[in-house]
Amino acid sequence: MTDWLHPEALLGAEGLRGLDALGPTDLLVSICAVNQARSAPQVVEAAVKGVSGTLTARASAILVVDAGLRGDTADTIRDWARTQPPLPPVRALRVAGPPSRPRAVQAALAAARHLEVPAVALLDAGLVGLSGEAVELLLRPLLDGEAEYVSPAFSHAPSEGTLSSNLLAPLNHALFGRRLQQVVGGCAGLSGGSLRRLASSEPWDGDHTEYGLEIRLAIEALTSGDRIVEAHLGHKILDPGLTPRDLATTLALTVGPYFGLMDRYRSAWFATQGSRPVPEIGGPAALLVETGNAHPDRMVRAFKLGLKDLLPVWEQALPEETLGQLYPLGLLGAEEFEFPPDLWARIVVDFAVAYHECRLPRDHLLRALTPLYLGRVASFLREVHAVASAQVPALLDILARAFEAETESLAARWR
Amino acid sequence: MRETWSDILISAFHEVMQRLSLVIPRVLALLTLLIVGWIAAALARRLVLRILGAVDFDGRCARWGLTASLARGGLRQTPAQLLGRLVFWTLFFVALLMGVEALEMPATSGLVVGVVRFLPNVIIAILVLVAGWLLANFAAQAVLIAAVNAQVPLAPLMAGAFRWLVVSFAVAAALTQLGIAREMVLLTFGIAFAGTVLALAIAVGLGAKDLAREMLENHLRGQRGDPDSTTHV
Repeated sequence: MTDWLHPEALLGAEGLRGLDALGPTDLLVSICAVNQARSAPQVVEAAVKGVSGTLTARASAILVVDAGLRGDTADTIRDWARTQPPLPPVRALRVAGPPSRPRAVQAALAAARHLEVPAVALLDAGLVGLSGEAVELLLRPLLDGEAEYVSPAFSHAPSEGTLSSNLLAPLNHALFGRRLQQVVGGCAGLSGGSLRRLASSEPWDGDHTEYGLEIRLAIEALTSGDRIVEAHLGHKILDPGLTPRDLATTLALTVGPYFGLMDRYRSAWFATQGSRPVPEIGGPAALLVETGNAHPDRMVRAFKLGLKDLLPVWEQALPEETLGQLYPLGLLGAEEFEFPPDLWARIVVDFAVAYHECRLPRDHLLRALTPLYLGRVASFLREVHAVASAQVPALLDILARAFEAETESLAARWR
Repeated sequence: MRETWSDILISAFHEVMQRLSLVIPRVLALLTLLIVGWIAAALARRLVLRILGAVDFDGRCARWGLTASLARGGLRQTPAQLLGRLVFWTLFFVALLMGVEALEMPATSGLVVGVVRFLPNVIIAILVLVAGWLLANFAAQAVLIAAVNAQVPLAPLMAGAFRWLVVSFAVAAALTQLGIAREMVLLTFGIAFAGTVLALAIAVGLGAKDLAREMLENHLRGQRGDPDSTTHV
């Protein structure tokens, strides 16, 4: 089997020499950047704090892997490190080639493998809200032998991370039987053993862009029997200077790789029944008070426009029975709009099957999900505003069970 | 008198027999070529289907969106079956041409040469039409989805206009390839294309100015005034 985490192939001889100069290392914090010179120093500071607290006795290192086109992130970090007081070793590597987030993650994993560290934390260079404690939480369970994989969990307002709360997380619960809040959280912790097993697993084919490798790390941990803990890392704040992607592209880059990986791991989820929580550290993630301006009315308008104009596309993915349940939603006003969880779960499953069977170009299929997703989010926000915050977990539980109810038919249709 | 009458009968009989002896082998050759051509075409179709099956041609076509485009066009057969049929009828047509040539009839002597000379143009024209039709469906669907996601009103109209633009371009290219009224086709297409663009410009400038203003206002309001704070990932 091809070694898809081969250090020399990914980091080059010069990169390996830089890593060898670090000497024996107990833990590594790898920060993956793609043209993120502005926010990377802030994340490195959090990493420095994270390894300088109770972990200070361990031989630690911080590595910034820059897979951007400009290469200015690595330069910025080198300049920044010169101005700082003595720190744990901070190295910055540049990975050649076109800008690619998965390649930065792949190189970070290869570096950890080369150093043979017992614990590695992977951080996205845009996670400017991370604290030193959060970084420590990603590493501590690995070093103490309590877990092989640490998954992030964030406190968030209802309108934050709706793709995770309404699609990726409940689908992931239903398929793999463990309740993780995040599949694309932007950070994770892996043990040395987990890393070695990953290196010997089926190669990463690289065609699942952007979030694909991150999703694979989570699914690999879920299916391999690794002990998993979920670390509460506070409020997720991304670099505000990042240009946000349009929603359809975000859906294509997250849901697409997930649907693609469903086929690779089908033997693992065919027999799953129900789901159970994973142990938490750092306290439970809280539901924060809504401070932004979410506009469910605009989302309902987008849904209705989709229902009016995208039917010829949806007809290729959704069976008549599902479409029949969608039509009445077009008659509801924004104030009374309700997109039932069971209908939403069925639609996601129908889209996954259509993706698997290549019923239409996959990019078209994923982008055509956008109005349906907005309809579901509008309904979710309306439901959340109508209940006390203590009842929101119950709403998410109903959604999770709706997805679980669909897995049997999904497995039957997948074959 | 009696001898003359019998001579005429005999010579007519000989004449007919002689002519038949010339024609019958040619007809037999035609029938043989048709039968052999049919068998060879059927074998070739089977071989093509096997090869396409081995390389998962139908699966690839589905991933490229060709199968869906064919289905939308009313073709219920798989792309591999369609290609198999194309191979079958092409080979059978070649056998038919050979058979007609074997008849050595004065009326068909130039036909075969003409058809063979023109055949590559026909094949290229068909390929241009098929490719144009598939591209039109693919691009129209992409335009439709992008326009609906951008909440542009009249998205199906835009997608439909885009589809027919691509199809008409493919038809013009195919007719030009066949050499049918080349100047007229180019002129017609140029006039129709320029006319459509002009009509759209006038429609947007006069008829749809309120719609354009509303779209711009919505866009700018979304960017500046009251943006949606929902974060998805």
